[in-house]
Amino acid sequence: MNMQATELNKQDSQKWASRPDDETLNHFAQDLNELRERTMEKVGSDDAKYIRNVIRVQRLSEIAGRILIVLGFLHPAYWILGVLALATAKILDNMEIGHNVMHGQYDWMNDPNINSRNFEWDNAGDSGSWKRYHNYDHHTYTNIIGKDRDFGYGLLRLSDDTRWKPKNVWQFFVYIALCLNFQWGVAYHELAGERVFFKKSRKASKLPVTREQLKFAFFNKAARQLFKDYIFWPLVCFPVFLQVFLGNLVANLLRDIWTNTIIFCGHFTDGIHTFKESQCKNETQGQWFYRQILGSSNLEGSRLFHIMTGHLSCQVEHHLFPDVPAKHYPQMAEEVRAICAKYKVPYNSAGFFKQYFSVVKRIVKYSFPTKKSSRLASA
Amino acid sequence: MTSSTLGKAWQWVMNSLTNHNTLADYLEPLINGVVPGWRADRLRSYVTHVRNENADMYSLVIKPNKKWKGFEAGQYIELTVEKNGAWMSRYFSISSSPEYFQITGLIELSIRIQEQGRITPWLPNALKANGIVNISQAMGEFTLNPEHQNICMIAGGSGITPFRSMLQQLNLQSAQSNQNITLMYYARSDQHFLFEDEFKQVSNLNPLIQLNLMNSEYDGNINQSHLDVFVKPESDTHFYICGPSPMIVLTRKLLQEANINSDHIHYEFFGPEPLSLDIQSEGAAILFERSNKQIESDADETSTLLEIAEQNNLNPVSGCRMGVCHQCICQKKSGVVYNTKTQTYSDTGAQEIQLCISVPVNDVVLDL
Repeated sequence: MNMQATELNKQDSQKWASRPDDETLNHFAQDLNELRERTMEKVGSDDAKYIRNVIRVQRLSEIAGRILIVLGFLHPAYWILGVLALATAKILDNMEIGHNVMHGQYDWMNDPNINSRNFEWDNAGDSGSWKRYHNYDHHTYTNIIGKDRDFGYGLLRLSDDTRWKPKNVWQFFVYIALCLNFQWGVAYHELAGERVFFKKSRKASKLPVTREQLKFAFFNKAARQLFKDYIFWPLVCFPVFLQVFLGNLVANLLRDIWTNTIIFCGHFTDGIHTFKESQCKNETQGQWFYRQILGSSNLEGSRLFHIMTGHLSCQVEHHLFPDVPAKHYPQMAEEVRAICAKYKVPYNSAGFFKQYFSVVKRIVKYSFPTKKSSRLASA
Repeated sequence: MTSSTLGKAWQWVMNSLTNHNTLADYLEPLINGVVPGWRADRLRSYVTHVRNENADMYSLVIKPNKKWKGFEAGQYIELTVEKNGAWMSRYFSISSSPEYFQITGLIELSIRIQEQGRITPWLPNALKANGIVNISQAMGEFTLNPEHQNICMIAGGSGITPFRSMLQQLNLQSAQSNQNITLMYYARSDQHFLFEDEFKQVSNLNPLIQLNLMNSEYDGNINQSHLDVFVKPESDTHFYICGPSPMIVLTRKLLQEANINSDHIHYEFFGPEPLSLDIQSEGAAILFERSNKQIESDADETSTLLEIAEQNNLNPVSGCRMGVCHQCICQKKSGVVYNTKTQTYSDTGAQEIQLCISVPVNDVVLDL
């Protein structure tokens, strides 16, 4: 056991040894900061027009979707179209609009409705809670085991950093369940971290809110979402109650599957790195950038694909520049890739199917205890 | 069920259905796709024309939206315009009178061009004719009390605007006023007196209105001798002061030294009131509006607003403390801050700022 631990440490330090030295990383950071500055100079009325147009499309597809679902009694095709339109609205709201607005990408517009402080999304998760664990924990401590709870969501074993437990054998099915109920995972994530509903609750919480506020926000938002999709709209359209109920259920399901799939491709693909808390103490900006790049992976695709993923397809750029308006990411990606090549920093980018397949492979692979020999072989 | 619980229930349903406070907020992007510049929380109005007053001042003539409720002479509005995709707001006194608004349906804002400003030099060209602005309802308590018999108005530079509104009102309204009014109008040079002809006409028509044009080149800043006439012990003169902050501070000090009762002194600051009457102080005053706490930072202070707030036992939500996570986002209502991450200065109007990377530059009001 001891022997094994030393070998693993050695392996880790070898991996870390490939990190460029401080001076190189300082230049690296300078190049990235200049890229950020060049991009921010371009941010202006085009971005405002763009995000307002995306919101318009979101509104229209939500309204059209809800009407078409009701018209489903005329022909099932209307119902199917309606569900797809509503799912599209929810995906746009959660990803290209909500996620990016809540990162503060559009705060400069001074628009009270397109603003990280006020925005609330069409998702079971309370936006205040999400901003705490996502914008702060996940984005600051990306892929640091024990700090970034998004790495496996406390449910999945995705690397050798966590010890294998028998329950991991069926983690593929846990993954499927999480995927189908992803909005509830998002909603419950922070409460799970604080162990709010269990006896072993944390004594020293660092959260700026009390456990009561946490619970209230959780139940209030969940109630609002359930009321809207499963009580209000079905009741308003009473003669077709079931049709509307099911339509909303499927639309939420489609959104959950899509967002979960895209998000898993951002940090759990093949070749992604994880970090130890001790390695990241007193990081310089260059080291922080370096870790963000090693911990993230990109998806390649068309402009529409990028928009439908909320530009999380450019996860690397998003992690480097979380508050730069996302529509600039694809263009920045070309330059980031070139900067990485210049400093010999690995850059993880591939097509959707290749990346997603490697995620599934990882989930399956770490369902089982890793053999000592294969651990060393993968060094 | 009482109406307030019904109201709350309705609000909860609206929040649930739209994830916005009102249906209008939810529909706003659709509506302003058809009606450019439309906002649920503001009154969309037209600028009918821009009139140059002199080398560094101009007046916007605005036809307010039908829903605008009118105003009293001396009040101000918030003017919001979209510049390069961002909503920018400024407060301006209305320089025309309510009576004029009754007759023409128009109001005027007389604006001084701030040399380093982002908005005031840009506005006239951007809005030339039929430009769209959003305005708020009229605000402010700096209005003429009809019960005050003897009045001394003290105006500095562009601080003349509320007085022009008051005097125009007296001139246009049918009922003759019997108030004794003296206007002390300070300006940098003879070219800088605004509405001079209009004021002369008003004082010719109404013998109770006196006009004193004070050219600072010859007369200097306001001082005790200028005020001697009005500060007799038995006098019940009410003083109305409007102008740049240092001038208001100085005038108040002069009046206090002359033992004028403070309820006879009326003035209005835009932004936080300077803490001390000592105009030498160069530190920034920071007003935490929600907690109703005002503090003064040192002139060479480099602490961020987050650190200052924490030192003063306000505990705003914060996160990474390096400008990444946007947890400490807060609305700055007015004032300039320096962003240590982008190394730029902010606008002076209302804006969202990150407290952890913002250092106050001048007086700042925070919604905290």
